[in-house]
Amino acid sequence: MQNTIKVERAILSLTQDDLAQKIGVSRQTINSIEANRYVPSTVLALKLSELFNKPVNDFFKLSDDD
Amino acid sequence: MDTKKIMDCERERLNKVTNFRLPHTFWTIGMIVTGLSIVTMFIRAFAMEGDTEWLRELAKKGLLVGMLLMSISKDKEEDELTIKLRMQSYAFAFVVGVAYALVMPYVEFGVSNVVNSGGEAFKNLGDFQVLSFMLLVQLMSFHTLKRYR
Repeated sequence: MQNTIKVERAILSLTQDDLAQKIGVSRQTINSIEANRYVPSTVLALKLSELFNKPVNDFFKLSDDD
Repeated sequence: MDTKKIMDCERERLNKVTNFRLPHTFWTIGMIVTGLSIVTMFIRAFAMEGDTEWLRELAKKGLLVGMLLMSISKDKEEDELTIKLRMQSYAFAFVVGVAYALVMPYVEFGVSNVVNSGGEAFKNLGDFQVLSFMLLVQLMSFHTLKRYR
């Protein structure tokens, strides 16, 4: 799974900490998601979708090994 | 009540039990209990005389309770990633604990026979040794996983 959370976050001028607070997780969790070390749950993905005002598919993509 | 409702009720209850976590304050309490138990063990071993077997047993139980409190307390910032890491640490501790319980008696038997040049009887591990090892592995692996998240 690949994602462009970092880009979406930059568009909204949010730090990892800001984003973490907005969706109720820790900064380290945002860091892990951005680094593709952790695939978030559907609930978290939908929270991000609501915040970025974009469908989940726009910032999460399946990679070849998925 | 029909079968489906009973199943739903049981599933809910099981989820509640398996997802049960104490507030983060209990981590500190667990840390204090563990620390006190370790200190008590040292004092009993090096500075006390007479029949203090009850104190040894008390310290052992205290150590287990303290580590259990630390293990089932919520993280300061509990979220889905920390929950996942905790589950991973429990799985790891369980597997390592079983392997330890299987292998360690033979290692102890071998080492004690080499050191005491034979004659040592084979004995299995006690519950305290296995449980404290499993809790220690769980706490350490959870801490390590969190550090590398």
